[in-house]
Formats: sequence, C-alpha cells, structure tokens
Amino acid sequence: MAEFVVGEDGIKRYLVSITVNGIKYTKVVKANSLLVNFLREDLNLTGTKRACEQGDCGACTVLLDGKPVNSCMVLTVSVDGREVTTVEGLASNDKLDILQEKFIEHSAPQCGFCAPGILMSAKALLMKNPNPTEYEVREAIAGNLCRCTGYVHYVEAILDAAAASQERKDGKNG
Amino acid sequence: MYLPDFEYFTPDSVEEACQLLSKYGPKAMAIAGGTDIVVKMKKEVLAPEILVSIGHLPELKKIEYVPGKGVVIGAGVTHNEVQNSKILQEKYLSVCEAAHQMANNQVRNLGTIGGNISNAVPSADMPPILIALDTTVKIVGSKKERTLPLEDVFKGPNQTVLEHDELITEFVIPDGSFTGSTYLKFGLRASGALAVVGVAASVQMDGGVIKDARIVLGAVSPVPLRAKEAENLLKGKQASEELFEEAGVIASGECRPISDIRASAEYRRDMVRVFTRRALLKAVNEGHV
Amino acid sequence: MAKEFSYLNMKREYSYIGKSLKRTDILDKVTGRGKFAADLKFSNMLYGKLIRSTEAHARIIKIDTSEAEKLPGVRAIITAKDVPSIKYGLSPARYDENIFCIDKVRYYGDKIGAICAVDEETLYKALKLIKVEYEVLPAVFTPAEAAKPDAPQIFEEYPGNINTEIHLEFGDVEKAKQEAYYIRTDRLQGQRTLHGFIEPHCSIAYWEGKRVTIHSAHQSAHYLQHHIARIFDMKEGDVRVVLPYIGGGFGGKVDISGLDIAAVALSKITGQPVKMFYDLEEVWYNGRARHGMDMKYTTGVTKEGKILFVENETILDGGAYTGLGVASAYYAGALLTVLYDFDNYRFDAYRYVTNLPPCGAQRGHGQPHPRYAFESHLDHIAEDLGMDPIEIRLINARKANTVTPNGYEVKSYYLKEANEMARDASGWKDKKGKLPVGRGIGVGNGGFVTGAGYCMYRTDLPHSVAMIKIYDDGTHAIVYTNAVDIGQGSDTVLTQMAAQAMGYPYEDITICTRDTDLSTLDFGAYASRQTLMAGWAVKRAGEDVKRKILAQAAEMLKVKEDGGYRFGKLTPEELDCEEGIVFVKQEPAVNITFAEVARAYFVKHGVLIGRGYYHPGKLGGTHKGAAVGTSPAYSSATQVAEVEVDMETGLTKVVGTWDVHDSGFVVNPQLLHGQVHGAFSMGIGETIWEKVVFDEKGKVLNGNFAEYRLPTALDMPYVESLVLDTFEPNGPWGVKEVGEGATTPTLGCVANAVYDAIGVRISELPLTPEKIWRALKEKEAKEKGGK
Ligand SMILES: Cc1cc2nc3c(=O)[nH]c(=O)nc-3n(C[C@H](O)[C@H](O)[C@H](O)COP(=O)(O)OP(=O)(O)OC[C@H]3O[C@@H](n4cnc5c(N)ncnc54)[C@H](O)[C@@H]3O)c2cc1C
Ligand code: FES
Ligand code: FES
Repeated sequence: MAEFVVGEDGIKRYLVSITVNGIKYTKVVKANSLLVNFLREDLNLTGTKRACEQGDCGACTVLLDGKPVNSCMVLTVSVDGREVTTVEGLASNDKLDILQEKFIEHSAPQCGFCAPGILMSAKALLMKNPNPTEYEVREAIAGNLCRCTGYVHYVEAILDAAAASQERKDGKNG
Repeated sequence: MYLPDFEYFTPDSVEEACQLLSKYGPKAMAIAGGTDIVVKMKKEVLAPEILVSIGHLPELKKIEYVPGKGVVIGAGVTHNEVQNSKILQEKYLSVCEAAHQMANNQVRNLGTIGGNISNAVPSADMPPILIALDTTVKIVGSKKERTLPLEDVFKGPNQTVLEHDELITEFVIPDGSFTGSTYLKFGLRASGALAVVGVAASVQMDGGVIKDARIVLGAVSPVPLRAKEAENLLKGKQASEELFEEAGVIASGECRPISDIRASAEYRRDMVRVFTRRALLKAVNEGHV
Repeated sequence: MAKEFSYLNMKREYSYIGKSLKRTDILDKVTGRGKFAADLKFSNMLYGKLIRSTEAHARIIKIDTSEAEKLPGVRAIITAKDVPSIKYGLSPARYDENIFCIDKVRYYGDKIGAICAVDEETLYKALKLIKVEYEVLPAVFTPAEAAKPDAPQIFEEYPGNINTEIHLEFGDVEKAKQEAYYIRTDRLQGQRTLHGFIEPHCSIAYWEGKRVTIHSAHQSAHYLQHHIARIFDMKEGDVRVVLPYIGGGFGGKVDISGLDIAAVALSKITGQPVKMFYDLEEVWYNGRARHGMDMKYTTGVTKEGKILFVENETILDGGAYTGLGVASAYYAGALLTVLYDFDNYRFDAYRYVTNLPPCGAQRGHGQPHPRYAFESHLDHIAEDLGMDPIEIRLINARKANTVTPNGYEVKSYYLKEANEMARDASGWKDKKGKLPVGRGIGVGNGGFVTGAGYCMYRTDLPHSVAMIKIYDDGTHAIVYTNAVDIGQGSDTVLTQMAAQAMGYPYEDITICTRDTDLSTLDFGAYASRQTLMAGWAVKRAGEDVKRKILAQAAEMLKVKEDGGYRFGKLTPEELDCEEGIVFVKQEPAVNITFAEVARAYFVKHGVLIGRGYYHPGKLGGTHKGAAVGTSPAYSSATQVAEVEVDMETGLTKVVGTWDVHDSGFVVNPQLLHGQVHGAFSMGIGETIWEKVVFDEKGKVLNGNFAEYRLPTALDMPYVESLVLDTFEPNGPWGVKEVGEGATTPTLGCVANAVYDAIGVRISELPLTPEKIWRALKEKEAKEKGGK
C-alpha cells in the first residue's frame, strides 16, 4: 500500500513511484489526481492531450505497462510502481520511431491534436502485431477520434510503418 | 472536469478489500478498471469518500479451465484479456467476441468483466452472453461467500444484489451442452457506441433439432432479460429461419424497452426481433460456443 | 467576340509548388513538442472558467458569489457589473452579445460571469458554490415556436424573434414559371451540428503595463485583436494576440469566445496570467456551429432538364445571438447560382433567434445544408424527367468566365468536367440503377468561395500582408504572415509559395505566423481564404525579395567575354533565381548563390526585406447583402458515394467515396487530399449520425463524444480524391480553395446514395438508422395499402 501523509486540510497525499519514459519519478499526489493531469501538470509532459475526459476520444492515450489506455480515467495512485510511456518517450535521443517517420512522410496529422494518442495506439498495435491488416489498424485506432483527416493518411502511415519495420528486421536477420 | 477528494486503499487480498468495504460502509466503493466509476465521479453521479482498489489483485486475474467445473474467469480480468485468452477463444469464442465489441481498445485495456457486471447498466455487453451460457458468479463478502446464477445478480439499472461489503470474485461458465452461441451488438457506430440492442443466443442442437436454447436481451429492459417464451418456442423444433423469425417476434413482445436519446422503444423492439433471428441463425450455423 | 478561354490542363512544373513537401509543423506534431493553448504555462498563472446559466430564458435576480469567494485559492469572480457593458459580435449590423448577461440569460449555458483560482481543483469547487437566482421566462426552442404571434421575445431589437430577413429576386421568376415544362417543390431539413474539433477552446491572457497579450485557440489573430480592442476600448496596438497550434477549428474558433474576454478582464483585475478553458461539453454551449435549416426549393425546368428558375425559402434556427449568423443566412441562398447556370432566382430567408446556443459558421459556411437540399431536389427532378442524375448536372453546370445573376464573377469553373471525372472514376454507369436493393450510389455537387470578398467589419485594410526577411548572411529566410494554420497546412503551403517566389530553398525558410506583434496582418482562417489571399501576399513579398536579389546580382555577375554571349553589364531582367542560385537566363553556367548576393545586399543596404499585400478589390453587385458570397475565385467539386443500407435495421455503411475537385493549381497535393478526406468524414458524420440534441429546458443532451458520434476509423470508407488540372487567373499561380468546399457536396451525395439504396427520401438529416427503418416501414405499409 502506498505510503501517505496527511495535509493540513486533512486530506491524504500518497507517495508514488512511477516510471515514465524510462525515468523513475517519485512524487506525492492526492488520490484524485488523474494520470493525464499528473503527466501534463506535474511532469510537464504536455504531449499527452486532454479533451473529452471520459474515455471517448483517445487524445490522452498513453501506454501503461505497454498497453494503450486513456490516461483521463486512470488514477495516478493506481499507477504506483508501474511503467508509463507517452508520446515524448517514442523517440530515443534524436532517433524518431518508425511510426513518427511515417507520420511525417504521409503527412498524417493535420491539426495534430489527436496525433500523440494515435501514435500510442499504433505503437501498441505494432508491438503486439507487427504485421497488421488494414482492418486491424483501423480497429486499433478506433478509440482515437480525429476530425481533420478521415484517418486516411494515418492508416496508410501505420501500415507503411509496419511494412518498413518488417523490412528492416528482415534485413537485419538476413 | 475534476474528481472530488477521496481516500484510496490498495489492499493485498480480496479478504482485506472486503474488510475495508465493511469497515467504511456505503461511503466506500471498490474500483477495478475505473472506466465506469471515474467517469461517474467526474459527472457527480457518485461521490464515494473511499475507493478500494481491487483491479491489481492477482487472485482476480485468472482465466483457467477446471475440468468438471468449467472456465473460471476472475472478476479483475480486463475485456482485452478476455478477448485474447486462448482458453476462452477455444471454449467460448462468443465471449471473446462480446468483449471485443465493447467500447474501444483503450477502454478494453482498463475495464474489467467484474466492473461491467457490477455496474449493472442495461446496455452492458457482457451480461447477455454470460447469462446465455448459464454463468454463475462467486460473491465474497467480509462475512460470507455465496454463488449465484449471473441472471439473479441484477436488480435494476445500476443495482445488483451485492451488499456493500461484497465483491464478485469470479465467474464460472460451466461445462455445458451448448453447441453454439453468439452475441450480437447493435450500436449506432462501428466503435465506441453503447448497445441500442444486444442479443445473446445459445443453442444445444441435436442434428437439426433444437434441444435447448437461451435468448438473452440487453438494453431493452431494466436488467438483462431472458426471452423465455421465445426459448420455449424453440425447444424440440427443427431449426429454420422462419422459426427464428417467429422467436424474434415473440422476444420483441417480451422485452420492455424505453425510449432514450439513442433510440425509441418501438425501434428497439423491432431490433430485438431482427437480432434475435440473426443471433439464433449464427449460433446454429456457425456452431462455435 | 473573343474566343472562350479555357483554364483547363495548363500543367506546369515548379521547384517548390505542386509538390507534397514535408509540413513545416510536422516534427512538432509527431513528437508532442508542439504547444497547443492548454499546454502553455506562465508563472503565477491562474485558472478560470465561465459561470454559466442553467436556465434557457430568465431574468437574473441575484448572483450570490459570497460562498465561493470565501474558498481559499479563489482569486476573482466577475459578472456584468465588473466589465464594460458594450455589445459585441461578428456581424457589425448585429452586435447583440454582452460580455456577461446583464438583464437576462438567453440560453442554457449563457455567460453570467467568470471566476479564477489558483488551481483547477479550487476552481471547480468554487464554481459549484456560486448561486444564481432567476425569474424564469418562457422560452422558445425552434423557429416555429419563435414565430408564433404570442411567442416570448428574446431580444427587443428583433421583433417577432426575426434576427435577419432576406428577400431577393434576380431575373423574372413569375415569367419563368409560365415557360417551365416541369415544376417541382421539395422541402428538406438540415440539422444543427457541431464542428467536432477535438481540442476544446482555451485562452490565456496577461497584462504588461497598458498592453495585454492573449494566447488563444483561435482562427484569426486579427479579429481577436480587433474585437478585444473594441470591447475594452483599447488601441489595437495595445492588444497582442499570439496563437499557438490550433487543434482544429472548422469555423468554431472564429467568434470571440467568452474565454478570451474573461481572460483579459480577470488578468487585469488579478495582475496575474489567467488561463480560461472549456471542458468539452462547454464547446456545445459555445455553439457557433451549423444552423438548423428548413429549406423549401421550387424549381422549373425545360423538357431537357435545363433549370429555368429556382425559388428558395429557407428558415434558420439561429440560437440566441447573431455572431456570424447574418452572413450564414445570406450564404444559405447565395452560392446556388454559382453551381448552376440559370437566370431567375428568388431567395427568401428568415433567421430566427431561439433560446439555444448561438449558431454560426461551420466548414462550408451556410452551404452543406442547402447543397444537401438542392442536390436531393435535383435528383427528384431528374428522376421525374427520366434523366440520369449526372446528366441533369452536366446540362446545368456553370461555365468558366461567366457572371451569376446575383453578381458574382466566376473565372475558372469546371463543375461539368468534375462530374464527368467523378462519374468515370466511380464506375457510375455500371452501378446507377443496377445495384441490388439496399445498395445505392449518389452524386452531389458543391464548391465554395476562395476567401470572402469583404472583411467582416467595414475597413479599407488589405486582406493579407506579408513580409519576408533574409538573414544577414543570406542563409535563411523568414516569412511573416498572420495566416492561421489550424491544421489545414497553410504554414506549409505559404512557405512553399515563398520558396517558389524567391527561388530560395524551402528547407531554409521558417514561417513566423500567428503573432500580431511579430508578424503581419492577415484576416485568418475562415472562408477558405489562406492559400489564395495570404498566398498572393507571400508571393508578392517573395517576388519583391527576388527583384532586389536580381538587381544586386546584376552588379555582381559578369558574363565571360569570350563566352560568346555578349559583352557589357547585365540587367536584372537577364537574370533569374531558382533553388537558391542566381543565374543568367541565357547562360545558366554563369551563376552565383542567392546567399552570396543577399549578403552583399546586406552589406550595402542593410536588412533585405520583401513586402507584399493583397486586396481583392471591389466585388459583387449592389443589392442588399450583395457582398456575401463575393470572392476572387470559386472552387467546384463533385462527389459520389456508394452506400450499403441494412434494410432491416436502417444502418447505413458508406462503402466508397470519390471526390473530384476543381481547386485551381494544387500547391501541395498531399495536403489537398487530406482536406478532402477530412471533409468526407465530417460530411458522412453529419449525414448519418450527428445532431445536437436538447432537453425541454434547452440543456444539451449529447454534449460528449459518446453520444455526439464523430465517425471513427472503422466507420470511414475508402476515399478516392481526384483533382482536375485547372488554373484560376485570380489566384497566385492559379490556386483556389479546397478546405471548406470539400464538405459541401457530401451531405447531398450520401443522402442521394441512401435514396438510391432504399427508394424513399428522408427529408430530414441526419439519416439515422431509426429514421431509415421508419421510412421503410411506412413505405411498406403504403405499398400494402395500395394493393
Ligand atoms: C468510453 C467508454 C465506452 C464504454 N463502452 C462500453 C460498451 O460498449 N459496453 C459496455 O458494456 N460498457 C462500456 N463501457 C463501460 C465500462 O467500460 C464497462 O462497464 C467496464 O467493464 C467497467 O469495468 P471497470 O473495471 O472499469 O469498472 P469500475 O469503474 O472499476 O467499477 C464499476 C462499478 O463496479 C464496481 N465493481 C467493480 N468491480 C467489482 C467487483 N469485482 N465486485 C463488485 N463490484 C465491483 C465498482 O465499485 C463500481 O461501482 C464504456 C466505458 C467508457 C468509458
Ligand atoms: S481525454 Fe481521455 S479519452 Fe478523451
Ligand atoms: S489531426 Fe486534427 S483531430 Fe486529428
């Protein structure tokens, strides 16, 4: 059970230790802290967006222990000891993830507000299923609403990223 | 939106969770995936002062086949874990398909089967198929334990027979004699839409003859509804599309839908007819359970 | 008579335009680095919200803020008495909105005041402690209710609740009626929808002395600056507007929102930066989206299907305030004459105020509903005459170089060719009339203005101004323009244009936009204007730079005397510059880099700057409202959709879509296709699912993305986006618009496809499964009854 302190207002604050993008953060949060706000406000990771706040739009999608979830519905206390990946954690150093490269190539985002969420959903898909069909891609991002693009370039970019990373892998192995 | 303040407990076992719930009374509630309760708290529909986490408990996370008993699914299993379970895919593909039709991928990674049942929303997707497969529920409280048919768990919208210190710990889909089952969800969008009507059907076939059948309707009455008259019609009869249409007509007479923002009662009734027929056809023809 | 000139098939090759170059903002958008308004933080920043009405129509008796004020962390609460009592809006003829309601509230969600606190949590808690006492007044929620003789009056200034009334006639409709071979009337209804951008509005303001800075999710830096200055009686120069990345707009971030005004007022009072934001549901209350419209069209045609006259009666549900609504009402009738060539036209419209959130502009301002109604109507006329729907459109499509009866000059215009191309691409001939029951194909036409001919308020300002500055050593260029990229890609397209105009590498250019202090005037992103209007300004600025570069280069370059070209000094006219190299046109081997020339210029003259601006000049006729719909250029488009309808449930699945756009020269094909894809998805959503629903108190029932259903990736069909190679003489390099125009045919084409599939016309959008189911039941009952 997370350790806690009680504030002057009589409200408990919990000590949590959360690994975000490979960095372990130890912070004190109230029970009502939502992961989306924790990331955006406490860690200044504003790549994760907040829009509907009810699980409908996917703008706040992050990976929790490798799985995409809506961070607007996740209590920060419940993430104690776990691992979170946000859009900021996709690129390593200056090397973009293949999905990011393909999003650029296909001009996938327009306003881009949905892009971080879609990237995270797509990332989770490719980790689990490196060779998805178009339907599987659509299914994987169906929880990410986008008003600008009709999803056309997003779907193409994700399929292309899958193909490209398969090729790279084959290249390496062969 | 914001969440009001509350206290948060992370018990180490179901037993401890029940004790906490018992100790704090109705102002404490369990939280599993949080996809229902967090949204309701944001909307100020609920304002528990204490949340007791159960989603992390390993004892609620199992999916296993126990010969002679059936498939046991822990209440803390998420919809995606149901969907991806090899055991379930082999034994009850229709349950996986039902889980798969729920919400969207992100929500399915959080939301649990226990939460879906306990929340007791009329449009919930898991109850119809589980009831159609004669699922029983193990309920553990701070003082007692009991097992009930899932069908008997629901009392009304957002109401179950659970006492405030009780938790659902597992579901058992018994080894049954069903030869086919399915769940058809009719929503207004391909993803992220609640059911306007949900129909689960299971059948036990003997050649072309229906020995036994269950039809369970979602979103058309305060609780998931067995269309018993329609079931009775089927028993002992030769399967045919006409028969299923007739069953659909009877089922649509049995349901008690309301009109809301998604659909009128009249439309829902007719959709019960359509989807009852389609579900029976699928359960009979595709043959997987 | 001069020979008719065609702007078709003028294929040209350029270095930087006509190519799908990488978006300028793309790295920011795929890394999460790019900042949207809500991502901004300033030290000591407060968080604020509007205090909203919970009655649709009521007199405010008392606002009790005392409990909220006592809550630690609450910094300020303001109501009407704390702010100027000035009225504002977007249509100067109807400034009718107070900053905060003074006497009464006019819709559920109306602005009563604003509050700010040290953090979000305190803010929400305090908001709940504010008590407002009302004297409830009877309310009206539909134009029909508003029009009743004894209806409660929402505004003194709009007797009968009529906010805008239009009666226009061109040609002689009565005479044409005598001549018509066939006359038909149809009445159809378009619903109130929502823009559906994912980013809720957010606005942050802070003061530095007498100047205020506002960072806002807004579509126009200029209008925001202008109106804030007007409302607070400040000089425009004392208002700085900075727009971060905008998470979509579609017309919903054009109005001055209560957030902007409240942020300015609260930050003045508190002396701290204030961030005002909406929760998603509040976006529904902010409104300003598509009007609900009740449209009646009567059309007379010849035996061959040539349109002789059209009578159009449209009633608009305006909601509580005007905003851009006067323009919406005029737009509802204005552009039909652009699509189809006929002489006699009558347009009557009434825009009523009701006790619902105000309506305004949404992608394709005022067009998608009228297009839906007329395209449906036209299909019926074709059917009655035994004609193919595309055939009747080919006969009536307007031609290039013509003038509409209501005074719009149309230069390039290739709707006929668009129809032909869409017909061939979609396999129309093999499908129309040949698909099984439950499957259908439909066509719809549309198009839009390429920028409004006039500013929203009266002014002689140019519509767009640009400047390009070359770095001292010539190695980088900065383009300045306050064109607003809301996702459509204007930053990219304008950078491409700057590169092309200067002959300077695209990758060495940065664009500086969306900041009234740092960049230059542009009216912003609305009316599909950025590519043409800001494009002209940028092109001219680029050409100005190039002129200076060539003049400087002429002094530096020397033609080798033994090269056989000629002896003596070069003139700038003999030089050109492409891709960063200045060269002698007749002898390209004689060249020098742009950078070297630019550096030499800098040494001699100081900073190298190019300037350009654009004003469309005087456009349009003289009748009342003649300005609405004027534009330097009109796009046209044809869309075809194929649908599959479940005849038992009524559920429609769009299985294929084709769009052919006559957009002039295409600067960036990938971005153009992106616009078409997005337009289709919005249009499909609006045709099948989307509608804002209220309860009997005027409270929004589906103010969330669960019940207001935007299409998901699983709902979107295959989209084929095709372009006609056309050239617009009024556009830089021949460009026209695509962004808004692409939404205008969709509703009509999908509705026509559904009609084709099920054989019944549903006269009210959206075509929900239940409506289709009901229509099919009724049809069945009628057929049975008939037998
Ligand atoms: C965007 C979105 C879409 C959705 N779409 C669907 C859909 O299509 N179909 C559908 O059916 N549902 C849908 N839901 C609802 C929800 O996701 C499911 O009902 C989910 O299964 C709830 O599980 P949970 O673990 O998140 O529940 P929680 O929110 O954790 O809990 C819900 C309730 O059940 C109680 N509870 C939880 N576990 C137990 C237990 N083991 N024993 C006793 N009580 C318990 C809690 O105290 C609480 O009252 C959707 C939700 C969202 C946010
Ligand atoms: S903000 Fe979390 S799903 Fe929309
Ligand atoms: S790119 Fe704008 S919402 Fe997706």
